[in-house]
Amino acid sequence: MKVLIVEDNKELASGISDYLNGEKYICELAYTFEAAREKLSLFSYDCILLDIMLPDGNGLELLNYIRKENINSGILIISAKDALDDKVNGLEGGADDYVTKPFHLPELHARLRAIYRRKKLEGSNNNLVTFNEIVLNTDTVEATVNDVLLDVTRKEFDLLLYFVVNKNRVLSRQSIAAHLWGDYTDNLANFDFVYQHVKNLRKKISAVEGTDYIETVYGLGYKFNTSKT
Amino acid sequence: MKLLNKITLWFIGVVLLVTPITMVISRNNIKKHLDQAEIERMKAVNDRVAQQLRAGEKPDRYTHGRPIEISLLPGTLPAEKVTVSKDNYVAEDLGRKECRITVNSYYEVGAQHYKISSFNYVIKSEEIFQGMLTAVIWKIVLLTIAVSVTARLISGKIFLPLRRTMKAIHRFDLKQKKKIQLPETSTTEFKELNAFLRKMTDKAMEDYAAVKEFSENAAHELQTPLAVIRSKIELLSETNIDGTQAALIGDMQNAIEKLSHINRSLILLTKLENQEFKTTESLKFCRVTKEVLATYEDWILMRDIKLSTQLDKAVPLNIHPALAEMLMNNLLSNAIRHNRDGGQIDVLLTHRELCISNTGLPPQIPTSELFQRFKKSNQSSDSIGLGLAIVKQICEVSNYTIDYTYTNGWHRIHVYFFKEDVPNVMNGEPLPTAAEMPA
Repeated sequence: MKVLIVEDNKELASGISDYLNGEKYICELAYTFEAAREKLSLFSYDCILLDIMLPDGNGLELLNYIRKENINSGILIISAKDALDDKVNGLEGGADDYVTKPFHLPELHARLRAIYRRKKLEGSNNNLVTFNEIVLNTDTVEATVNDVLLDVTRKEFDLLLYFVVNKNRVLSRQSIAAHLWGDYTDNLANFDFVYQHVKNLRKKISAVEGTDYIETVYGLGYKFNTSKT
Repeated sequence: MKLLNKITLWFIGVVLLVTPITMVISRNNIKKHLDQAEIERMKAVNDRVAQQLRAGEKPDRYTHGRPIEISLLPGTLPAEKVTVSKDNYVAEDLGRKECRITVNSYYEVGAQHYKISSFNYVIKSEEIFQGMLTAVIWKIVLLTIAVSVTARLISGKIFLPLRRTMKAIHRFDLKQKKKIQLPETSTTEFKELNAFLRKMTDKAMEDYAAVKEFSENAAHELQTPLAVIRSKIELLSETNIDGTQAALIGDMQNAIEKLSHINRSLILLTKLENQEFKTTESLKFCRVTKEVLATYEDWILMRDIKLSTQLDKAVPLNIHPALAEMLMNNLLSNAIRHNRDGGQIDVLLTHRELCISNTGLPPQIPTSELFQRFKKSNQSSDSIGLGLAIVKQICEVSNYTIDYTYTNGWHRIHVYFFKEDVPNVMNGEPLPTAAEMPA
């Protein structure tokens, strides 16, 4: 996947690109409005990460440009302004999703993948995320392991999808809690809860004789380890 | 009471007070002048009679039929040539009070001294008074009617600028960034009022813009570094690290989580204070409640809490959807977090109020203080202590009243959607009455 990161903060941009490079994505960086427009006119991207506040322009204007030029990329807005107006304007302006700073990198990645899935699989009737014996259908919210339907709740499905998308990554409990319950809930006390969900999920996968890929990373959180067999 | 009625009443009061006083003054004046005229006339008559005496004519012709007495005066003339005396007495034959003025004049005719005295009955002051009374009553009645009617007719015109100004204030909204439009007027007081209002609203708009800018800048400036730190730590945790380092990173992640949450909550509070969540559409609060309850279902299950709900159908409220969700989220997550395992939560939603009750340990500080920022019942707890402050702010923005009580092991939070439902026991402020506008 080819991604354009439009973000004026160089450290943040490099952090995002480091993470996405790990997923074998090709990332290009644009720190200004003009640089972004130039790149967009020359190359095509699967997805665009777009900051609203740029030193020489507004990200929403770039959205207009993208729409005018008929650029068919998935667009994920990243902004520090979680003002609702911006959110609505951005989504109406043709963006596919919206994350607010400070976001978790796995969260950003999960959303990017979701946009990518929707864009690329347009028309085809199966929205499947597959890893070895695990198959997740994002349309019907059904998970199967070795073709056996897994009896999971919506939250457990989301959790498994989050793990599969961010495989071999350390997922902090904070990032999992934010992913499952959103930003505004005071999720500081939800960590036991994360533990409980992960435990249930592992139990359910083991029950249908799937491989227990999920492992605990001491002090940090969890990891979907693909090297396990 | 309307301003106009107040002024009219005062005016009528003044009229009622002043009229009797002027009445007494006029009566005295009339009486004085009538008496004086009578005295002058009688003096003139006396002089005329004296002239006739001097001319040697018989005064009979002139005195005939007139109350004049001519008598010889023995001895010398008194020092005063004319004396006047007034007698008030009750005429016995008529059985009524009479007032008589007698004028005695003294003359020297030849070698003889004469005393000529005339008298006449004059009008009594009571009689003048009675004559005046009807006139005065008519005057007061007519004046009152005239004042009331004209006040009503003219006030429409005079108070028009004030009414327009008040309408403009009602319509004025800081958020619209539009300067207040006030009508032109020739009245000095209204001119001053308008000038003052213009100055005030301009200042408010400036301040509002400054605060808004600050909150937005704060959001951007703090959120970006936080995002940098968080992403770098996440990348760091991917590298080859040992257990000690992992524990350190874990602690950092906790702190950043807390920091970003506090930052986000403070920005939200500022936005709420700036009234940035205005809505004109009504929303089905029952649906929001159900959605939020569904989100927390598994948490409630995990802590083995018994949940009982009683939700009315179709509860429409004028509240921003994001605020409604946040309100329910905060209240419910509070009810779960501060509950004991195996406890109980009751959620009651009617058209008038929302009530969430939960079991839990008694609060360490007065319940009303829990709405303050960073106030926690248990200072060491993991929560940041902004949840209830946000709830309170949302209630204020939406004109709801919130009340938190603790009785017999139950924490109970009431949100009253209408002011009139607030129980009197609460030390609520007096209800604001509708602005009194002149007719």
